[in-house]
Amino acid sequence: MKLDRRQILALPMLAFARPAWAADRAVLERDTVTTWYKLILELVRHTATYTPPVASRAFGYIGVAAHEALATGNKGLMSLAGQLNGLTPVPARTEGAHDEACVLHAVINATTQGLFANTGPTGQRALVAIEKRLGMAASDGIAQDVVDRSVAHGQAVAAHILAWAATDGGAVIDNMGFPREYTPGTNPQDWVPTSLVRQQQAPLLPGWGEVRPFAMPTGTSCSIPAPPAYSEDPTSAFYAAGLEVHDTVKNLTDEQRLIARFWSDDPMLSPTPPGHWISIALQIADRDALPADRITEVLAKVGIAMADGFIACWAAKFEFNLLRPITYIKRVIDPKWEPLLNTPPFPEYPSGHSTQSAAAAEVLTGFFGETFAFDDATGEPEGLPVRSFTSFAQAAEEAGISRLYGGIHYRFGVEEGLTQGRCVGAFAANLKTRV
Amino acid sequence: MRFMFLTALAATPALAEPVVPAFTDETATAGLATSFEGDWDYMVGGGVATFDCSGDGKPEVFLSGGAAPSALFLNQSPVGGALAFQKTDAISLDAVAGAYPLDIDSDGVMDLVVLRVGENKVLRGLGACRFEEANEAWGFDGGDGWSTAFAAIWERGAAWPTLAVGNYVDRTEEAFPWGSCTDNWLHRPEGGRFAAPLPLTPSFCALSMLFTDWNNSGTPSLRVSNDREYYKGGQEQMWHLDPGAAPRLYTDKDDGWKRLRIWGMGIAAADITRDGYQDYFLTSMADNKFQILKDPAGGKPDFADLAFKTGITAHRPYTGGDTNPSTGWHPQFADVNNDGRLDLFIAKGNVAKMPDFAALDPNNLLLQTEDGTFVEAGDRAGVASMGIGRGAQVVDLNLDGLLDIVVVNRWTPAEVWRQSGAPGGTWLQVRLQQDGANRDAIGAVIEIRRGETVERHEIASGGGHVSGSVGWRHFGLGTSDSAELRVIWPDGQAGDWQTLPAASFQILRPGAAAEAWTPG
Repeated sequence: MKLDRRQILALPMLAFARPAWAADRAVLERDTVTTWYKLILELVRHTATYTPPVASRAFGYIGVAAHEALATGNKGLMSLAGQLNGLTPVPARTEGAHDEACVLHAVINATTQGLFANTGPTGQRALVAIEKRLGMAASDGIAQDVVDRSVAHGQAVAAHILAWAATDGGAVIDNMGFPREYTPGTNPQDWVPTSLVRQQQAPLLPGWGEVRPFAMPTGTSCSIPAPPAYSEDPTSAFYAAGLEVHDTVKNLTDEQRLIARFWSDDPMLSPTPPGHWISIALQIADRDALPADRITEVLAKVGIAMADGFIACWAAKFEFNLLRPITYIKRVIDPKWEPLLNTPPFPEYPSGHSTQSAAAAEVLTGFFGETFAFDDATGEPEGLPVRSFTSFAQAAEEAGISRLYGGIHYRFGVEEGLTQGRCVGAFAANLKTRV
Repeated sequence: MRFMFLTALAATPALAEPVVPAFTDETATAGLATSFEGDWDYMVGGGVATFDCSGDGKPEVFLSGGAAPSALFLNQSPVGGALAFQKTDAISLDAVAGAYPLDIDSDGVMDLVVLRVGENKVLRGLGACRFEEANEAWGFDGGDGWSTAFAAIWERGAAWPTLAVGNYVDRTEEAFPWGSCTDNWLHRPEGGRFAAPLPLTPSFCALSMLFTDWNNSGTPSLRVSNDREYYKGGQEQMWHLDPGAAPRLYTDKDDGWKRLRIWGMGIAAADITRDGYQDYFLTSMADNKFQILKDPAGGKPDFADLAFKTGITAHRPYTGGDTNPSTGWHPQFADVNNDGRLDLFIAKGNVAKMPDFAALDPNNLLLQTEDGTFVEAGDRAGVASMGIGRGAQVVDLNLDGLLDIVVVNRWTPAEVWRQSGAPGGTWLQVRLQQDGANRDAIGAVIEIRRGETVERHEIASGGGHVSGSVGWRHFGLGTSDSAELRVIWPDGQAGDWQTLPAASFQILRPGAAAEAWTPG
């Protein structure tokens, strides 16, 4: 089902047409979801293992958990069990009334606690504070037996989802995702470490391409062609690609520099690239006062798309194991050249931000349409301006090209990443979440 | 020299290992019994201050206690003997995060700046290790922050110091504390007291501050190391502090300042490369940073990170079996084996319950080798404690010329190690004294010849992790029986080069011959 902009704008009016109590509960349900997710974005930034692939996985599972918990009590929603790899039906609701705000609070709380059990003391303190605050708000005025039943159901669904998550091959992250031992390849085109950080002398999560996908059949369902053949010949396509990165960074416009920074989304300094798209979805949810069941539906499918995007991308990265522009350019073109952004510690091809952004955009376009305009204020706390987009596809393409501006990807890595992302996103977009 | 240093790192084969100093753990017998206690709002801090307040030349030890009371311990160690301290009730305060000694009123009696989770205190020394609170008398607004960094300097011509205080997050923010860094403060003098503090906006959760003359301009700047865990839009910082002018942040656009974002926890400065400029070690989580000015002649604060090349990333434990990333706190350069080369001590310890970082995280003792790289010796030296370290001081506690180490631990008693092995070389200790303001010559520079090069030491108040010291400045001399050095005093006047005998304590004053001093 696709909601167009007119329908979305009408939703708050529908809410007002309902009894006041129901409207209040609808607002509460939305706030429960969005407040939890705002905390999750912070936890992603502040939990050491939450690199972008790991973050995307968490967004996938939390979104699915919230959707499934609501679907057990809403005949208009369709479970994803049987549609997602390995997901069996979640526990049904027990007899008696349930409150959706309490269900949502309980399921997101328990799933988040499970996935972020390793966050630091400040994250743990925040989890306690939000659990208390939102729990009190959700249960205020609700009969205790309803609260208890709802919370129990939310927790049961969370337990089911966490048990499913534990079997996907991505649950255990050691040494922040970096192998403790690694021997770089010896071919000239092979990726080699690019940083002076000791921990990053091995590539991040080399086995992530083997993690079980959500909606995509396998990690290689959206495979991409090999990159241009490595060559140091100035007439070669590879040299041209390297030279383009070199020249682009040397001649950045202010706008290009801003775009690179806007989509930089550095791990542990931001909510990461998947968090950026979750932030976009939350901003739209707030702006358009989407109902909770629509928000969770969107967040589930966006999370699934990005998680699958990283799996597909990582499978390709470690298949081709291509060196980064900084390595090639310093070796062949200009030893003193430096990129604008810090080069991520893993192979170049394709661009992960491109893959996951295109995947997210594919899903969001499916929900909201091809010409859905929105503003993105994700970077405001970091001092970055709000940027406006005419469509999700435009935003994804800008996210992709930002990696060329930043000097960390070749154009072919960006373009193939976007192509791969659209393929991956289609699997998520085609999931049935409504009857 | 800089080029030679970098080239040597790349080209020189491994040289003979430096002498590993031997330490004896005297925690159980020395009488230092304070632990750094408390929950979330004491996850940082845990400082130690060493200074002589009894007049015998030996440093007393003040230990912060966090939620438990702080304590001052009188140094009763015999010269060269076992460490012995007597606990006093002189400075028993709660909520203490750290402290720095500083003779604020220049009366020749050491005062103490106490950083707290709550109102900071300036304590006026009364002599004989007695103190009284002087916030009101000196116009010092202690505020109500979570203060976690400090530095002091006498600005050119000032009779009263300028104090910089770094603050951490808004501790009342429970659900969303990220992005809630509160303002750092600059307490400048106004007559014989302090003016209202200036906010150093923007502030990014400082855990270390240091006034340092990074470009030898004669006017120190204020370096601030910030914890990226809590800021948004933040980075490492440095402030211009021109006399009479408002503090002004170094920027990329105006100054060529390069953005660096780390879990900044401590700053150590020393002229490791012996090029006459300070190099900076910044502690963090996982990899630490070792910054060397790329182009001193260029005049821009653009630093290369040589931690990897020199072997001091200290990114994970080297013993104990836990190989998760480390958490570094107090760093300090000092020549612990007296071989004439500065070494590096780092106090280590998990923040608390962070399973992705080492729970067993031994302190580092990184010994510098002839080629400028460092080798780990903490375990062999006997200081590889698995306590949850925070602040520390590397200081000669029993005045035998061998540096000892004291470390504050979270939840367990502070540890102290006496260096007890055979000396790896000779030594010299000097103390600067001048009349009038700034009795201990904070901001002075000691230059010491090392063969064909000159090593430049700043006399600073600040840096480390909420820990500081005023007193004897220790120099290892290797096989030399004397040291050639001079002092550039805070007013910019350079003293004469003078040759001082090894194995001696010397008091240096402007325009005067060195005065030998004998402990005991």
